[in-house]
Amino acid sequence: MIEQEKFGNFTHQDAPKYEDILQCMRCGFCLPTCPTFSLTGRERSSPRGRVALARAVGEGKMEFNQAMKEEAFFCLDCRACTTACPSGVQAGSLMEMCRAQVSQQHPLPKWQTGFRNFVLTKMLPNPDLMETSMLPARLYQQLGIQWLVRYSKLLKLGPKWIDKAEGMMPELHQPLRQNIPQFSPATGEKRGTVGFFLGCVMTLMYAEVSRQTIKVLNHQGFDIITPKAQKCCGAPHMTEGDRETTRQLAQHNLDLFMDLDVDAIVTDCAGCGAALKEYEELLAEREDHTRLQQFHSKIKDISEFLVEVGVRAENLIPVNKVVTYHEPCHLCHAQGVSKQPRDLIRAIPGVEFREMKEASWCCGSAATFSLKFTEASQKILDRKLHHVAETKADYLITANPGCHLQLAWGLREADMPQPVLHLIELLGEATPDH
Amino acid sequence: MISKAVIQELINELGKDNVISTPEDLLVLGYDATPGLHHRPDIVVYPTSTEKVQAALQIARKQGFPVTPRGSGSGLSGGSIPVKGGMVLCLNRMNNILEIDEENLTVTAQAGVITLDLANAVLAKGLFYPPDPASQKISTIGGNVMEDAGGLRCLKYGVTGDYVMALKCVLPDGSTITTGGKSVKDVAGYSFKDLLISSEGTLAIITEITLRLIPPPQTNQTMLAYFDNIETAGKAVSEIIAAKIIPSTMEIMDKTTINCVEDYVKIGLPREIAALLLIEVDGHPAVVAEESAGVQKVLKQVKATEIHIAANKEEALGLATARRMALSAMARVSPSTLMEDATVPRSYMAQTFAEIEHLAAKYNLIVGTFGHAGDGNLHPTVLCDERDTDQMKRAHAFFDDLYTKVLEWGGTVSGEHGIGIAKREYLARQVGSGGVAVMKRIKTAFDPDGILNPGKIFFDDQEF
Repeated sequence: MIEQEKFGNFTHQDAPKYEDILQCMRCGFCLPTCPTFSLTGRERSSPRGRVALARAVGEGKMEFNQAMKEEAFFCLDCRACTTACPSGVQAGSLMEMCRAQVSQQHPLPKWQTGFRNFVLTKMLPNPDLMETSMLPARLYQQLGIQWLVRYSKLLKLGPKWIDKAEGMMPELHQPLRQNIPQFSPATGEKRGTVGFFLGCVMTLMYAEVSRQTIKVLNHQGFDIITPKAQKCCGAPHMTEGDRETTRQLAQHNLDLFMDLDVDAIVTDCAGCGAALKEYEELLAEREDHTRLQQFHSKIKDISEFLVEVGVRAENLIPVNKVVTYHEPCHLCHAQGVSKQPRDLIRAIPGVEFREMKEASWCCGSAATFSLKFTEASQKILDRKLHHVAETKADYLITANPGCHLQLAWGLREADMPQPVLHLIELLGEATPDH
Repeated sequence: MISKAVIQELINELGKDNVISTPEDLLVLGYDATPGLHHRPDIVVYPTSTEKVQAALQIARKQGFPVTPRGSGSGLSGGSIPVKGGMVLCLNRMNNILEIDEENLTVTAQAGVITLDLANAVLAKGLFYPPDPASQKISTIGGNVMEDAGGLRCLKYGVTGDYVMALKCVLPDGSTITTGGKSVKDVAGYSFKDLLISSEGTLAIITEITLRLIPPPQTNQTMLAYFDNIETAGKAVSEIIAAKIIPSTMEIMDKTTINCVEDYVKIGLPREIAALLLIEVDGHPAVVAEESAGVQKVLKQVKATEIHIAANKEEALGLATARRMALSAMARVSPSTLMEDATVPRSYMAQTFAEIEHLAAKYNLIVGTFGHAGDGNLHPTVLCDERDTDQMKRAHAFFDDLYTKVLEWGGTVSGEHGIGIAKREYLARQVGSGGVAVMKRIKTAFDPDGILNPGKIFFDDQEF
């Protein structure tokens, strides 16, 4: 537990820091980039407004009340404001802190807490349990959707969310973690060794994508070590305000991967990448600083990594398609990886890249936001689909499972022809099978 | 407190979504970008038409509560802070561009249109709206008129007020007036529009604005010049003008600013130099070539240490963006920033820099200075922490001394941010008690009950 001096009406544990809040000079540059402000036009639903609410709580001018709680969860945590903010305010992170405050200051009734804790602290962190306990309807249950059905009232999910949740499910394959070898060797001239961090959602829902990641990395000349003991990155816990479990998961993954002799730790999930890069801050109080920095410097999104080492394009098969690219918030805003995916797309022979408008605007998925605020999420999605349609692209490319689910569902509902591909699937299409 | 009946009356007139009275919403509509200032309003309304503004004002007048107009709340002198409580009237839902008139070269827009949206809309028709305040991405055109906002292009193209042709406003009694029109010439009676420009919402609420447009320059050229002392940079500015070249932009950044900007945008600005000038010339290609050569000649004569020409549009844009980030980049490194808006006749630039340096040392403060060198408009910015009362006192003493000098040199206490709450005392020093008395009489003529944005520009009588 991290204790600190009590800050106004926040509790001791996991409270925002006054310095971080004061950093906001209220210039308003964040306003035009915030999807929820754009939707409601309400200052309190803008990054500047949310920070001001947090400031009022910290200065004891306002209780940690319902409005603060609502805004903490209505924030998409898309981090677009972080990119726009010239003074370096992290409104998204501050709202994550406020979510942690919600669980402390507005605790759920005991029976509800029990079940929620079971999912967050027992099921998600334990991949074996998650993958094997509920085999018959794998996804339905593994993603906790059954749990969501039972407790939809408790989560305040939006109208029609269940239709959407079921509609979003992709065709399922065997979860990857159990089936891939711990070691898969490079083909051609070897260029190095990487550790592969499998995200829960990727391995459960997009196992094929992760297979492509292995194929591509091997073909690009990298040995891959995929430790079986890896656990969830902690992002879902962080999102729900459970920072303690996040820290435990972080510690586990950190120890596991730091024991490997690898040049980089690669992930194909933008959400996981962002979370892994935040371990440094999350564990700052309890872990050696140098070790945290070393870990941080090794974490690479797959596109970030491939562009850094340079793509060997000579054996690639041309893919004669027009593609456009949706930037996952957790890649471009949270990790600042924006140019690399485009460079990677352009490196594939035959591909014609067409930029869409507002490529870095959130798609409305945002963890459970799309199920909690179905209407708001739909409006944000419509804006995105409109820009996709304008490009007349054959493929819509993205690089994060949350966006992938939301976009694929949206395109289907809107009868639009484009399939959604993970960037690595596109590169996989261009990569020969040995 | 405002009674439930009055809230209901406002809801009936403006619609439920356009009247806000929950404490959390009120809390976040009581600030702008001025540090340290906040006051919670009692109610907030979002009128969607001139008629709705009239209705809101009539109710406010009947009830006798103050009305403070607000756009995006990006102001830097506290102009939109409801210091006396009452009603905040947000104009940002009146955000339609009503007409782009290509024959008369005008654009007519509602007050809540975002400046950059307006500039982009006219650009799409091949026209140019030059004023570009640093906050253009979020500032409203109504707010720009009310503060007479400047920007980076004022040297050649002038400020917001130079483009205002007509205004439609609602007076505090709920009646409307329209002043000006699309005619190029108009000398009929008092020029109310000029009175309303930079009136900071104290005389009337502007709802519609007609602005003059011009054809865009065909091309431009951006240059960077580095200097090993700041006086040389000041001299370069005067010499360029003396060579009869009017660049569209001539911006200066001192060492502190350069380092903060470089920390943030990392575009390879040299950290050891004392100052840099960002210069842009624009117009017909032949003129641009000639003026660019002229500027470079002067820069060499005054011994700029290095001259760098932007290779292409992207690079030029990057440089201008870096300059726009100056304040924010400094805000990154300190919890608070106190930025001022001192403006002097151009020939006093070098002295002003020397004075800033002297006073920063005297009061033991870190000050970054940047600004519109060509306009003599500087933004000395104190990097501070609003929780440190001693430091804040020293910061205020710093500005106090600085303004004494600025006024001595015939300068002004505000080039483009307005007086608001922050600079009322300085205004009185600049225009004298006679000047303030006339301003107050004008105020009374427009607003006899004193309900519009009270407490701004000058002190109320009882505050003396």
